[in-house]
Amino acid sequence: MDIRHFSDNIPVLVDAKDIDGSPGPFSMSFGFDLKPLIRSIEKSGLINTPFLIRGNNGNMLPVVGFRRILALKSLQWTKIPYVDLSDAGLSVLDLILLNLNDNLTTRKFNDVEKGMILYRLIPHVTRDEILRHYMPLLSLPSHESSLDLFLKIEELDTIIKRSIADGTVSMKAIGQILDMDHESRMNVFIWLKKIKFNFNQQIQFTEYIKDISIKEEKSITHILGGEKLVKLLEDKKLNNPQKAKHVLHYLRSRRFPLLTDSEKSFRKNLSRLNLPKGVRIQHPPFFETPHYRLEILFRNGKELKEKIDYLAELDRLEMIEDPWEKDFS
Amino acid sequence: MIDTRINRVLVEEGATSSAMSKRILKRLHGLPVGHVSPDSTYQKPEFLDMDKETLRLISFNGEFLKPCPGTPGYICCGYQILHVGTNCPMDCTYCILQAYFNEPSLRIFVNLEERLERIGQVIDSQPEKIFRIGTGEFTDSLAHDHIVGWCHTLLPFFFDRKNVVLELKTKTNRIEGLLSSQYRDQIIVSWSLNSPYISNREEKRAPSIKRRLQAAKRCQEEGYTLGFHFDPLIEHPNWKEEYTRTLEMMDSYINPTGIIWISLGCLRYIPVLKTIIRKRHPDTHILDGEFIPGLDGKMRYFKPIRIDIYSFMAEMLKKWHKELGIYLCMESDEVWYKSLGWSPKDSKGLCQFLDGRVREVFG
Repeated sequence: MDIRHFSDNIPVLVDAKDIDGSPGPFSMSFGFDLKPLIRSIEKSGLINTPFLIRGNNGNMLPVVGFRRILALKSLQWTKIPYVDLSDAGLSVLDLILLNLNDNLTTRKFNDVEKGMILYRLIPHVTRDEILRHYMPLLSLPSHESSLDLFLKIEELDTIIKRSIADGTVSMKAIGQILDMDHESRMNVFIWLKKIKFNFNQQIQFTEYIKDISIKEEKSITHILGGEKLVKLLEDKKLNNPQKAKHVLHYLRSRRFPLLTDSEKSFRKNLSRLNLPKGVRIQHPPFFETPHYRLEILFRNGKELKEKIDYLAELDRLEMIEDPWEKDFS
Repeated sequence: MIDTRINRVLVEEGATSSAMSKRILKRLHGLPVGHVSPDSTYQKPEFLDMDKETLRLISFNGEFLKPCPGTPGYICCGYQILHVGTNCPMDCTYCILQAYFNEPSLRIFVNLEERLERIGQVIDSQPEKIFRIGTGEFTDSLAHDHIVGWCHTLLPFFFDRKNVVLELKTKTNRIEGLLSSQYRDQIIVSWSLNSPYISNREEKRAPSIKRRLQAAKRCQEEGYTLGFHFDPLIEHPNWKEEYTRTLEMMDSYINPTGIIWISLGCLRYIPVLKTIIRKRHPDTHILDGEFIPGLDGKMRYFKPIRIDIYSFMAEMLKKWHKELGIYLCMESDEVWYKSLGWSPKDSKGLCQFLDGRVREVFG
């Protein structure tokens, strides 16, 4: 493919209505704001001519300059100048790469667009080449799982794609919901949007929901429609961060009943000890190691001694043990 | 027999001339054979397809004898892995090898025989040390024996070295190679066991527990020392009754005095494996339990669940026979104490315990 060859082509005019309004098979644009481009064309005119190719139904398909075409249409241009690549002898892959290279130099792609690129490349390029060459080019990890994830974005509903493009939904959470049936996926997505979980919470939420669905053999829709969750979602006294916290706490206790019971028992038992202010006892993460941690906050040695003396007199302290053994009350 | 479905052979450059390759190709006469380069992506299978239909013959450049890497924060048995190949024709839901999807196909290291001399030098240079060596870490020790002839190669090599035991760990009943061999000393044949419930649902293409134990019985009758590994132990509906069924079958088929050791290990997995299991085995329930991140980053059952499972298994096994060499795989000192009533304290202590079992059994 010789790019100089194209620049020699003299632009011609086409009726705006004859140009396809969708990105088509070569363009990779999604979730963009057209206004800056419209303003630029209004001020300075069309600086770079779009490249088009004739489609099977006679319409002209955008190869390079899809956004410019939309901007020109929005500005009511009836005739649009373009370079015709129909007889340039280019393969589909050549045309995709023409668009890719044109964009790579001027902007960053959002995750939906990265998915579009990979989706367009995959019929023409081996998976190995995509992993080795194109994934790094798109700043993606060269992993099979990552490639699979991005390929599936193209199949998602537009509403989900918009959230991916504007960066409000975590790609990890998307990875979790991709293999769900359509109804479940949309339900989970609605929850993600309504509660406005942060990214970590989104991942936790989707993981809990999936695990609970498999464990209890209930549909995701059934779980999300449960009384407790619906009440939390509709509780007007709670703001979104509070809702997020309560929802995740509820799901965690349903997913890990013994662990959350143990944590609860431990907290309850500790509260009965009447530890002095500034003294804290913590259990190890997940109770995995056998060692508990005592933390004493003090201003000086006198205060430290007082607190240690007080602790030494606390008979119940000896009863601290793993909460599943028995209550140490 | 296990359900093998090998339908082609790929021979990597450098593997063509080995005696093992020639033997394998002779035994698989009639199957299509391709020749590929070592880094070849020739007809690479789809992502997550383990390509268990292809046998790939490889001249392995890495170390054949390697210590088990163990896992930080837990007590390790100090096993040595003899790396004879990777992947196996069975398709267990929980298998860690699924995470190595960039190395698909059933892989046989055909230069094993050429490298045995060096392995012998390593063993002979430390006569005071007992080498507990196994081939069942990255593959099943017997699944391909009828094709590769591992028993034919390895048994005569190890039987007269008194500071080594070779453990062949399997889920199969492919014992023809063992039965036709004259060597028994320093050889342990071990079966990986589970409850019939787990075996039926999660150990695809593997023989039933009954068939495994029938094979073990036959080996015991032929003079082999036996080992058993309940790993992974998995919490499932009626797990106590289900594991008891396996223990009852053991009682029917096996003489417990001929067992060198029985290991217990609860299901644990690297986090990435969860996604792979969900994709490859969407109907499985093995991930339903309360898994928490362990000290080594692997997911494992919440501690009281592990203690409950181990305690039950140990109690039942001890009722059967007092001296079974029961040990825990990758567990903490605390879990040892609370489950078995004693602990080797650390990896060194566990090595001493298992070495002691070797001395008791093999002298």
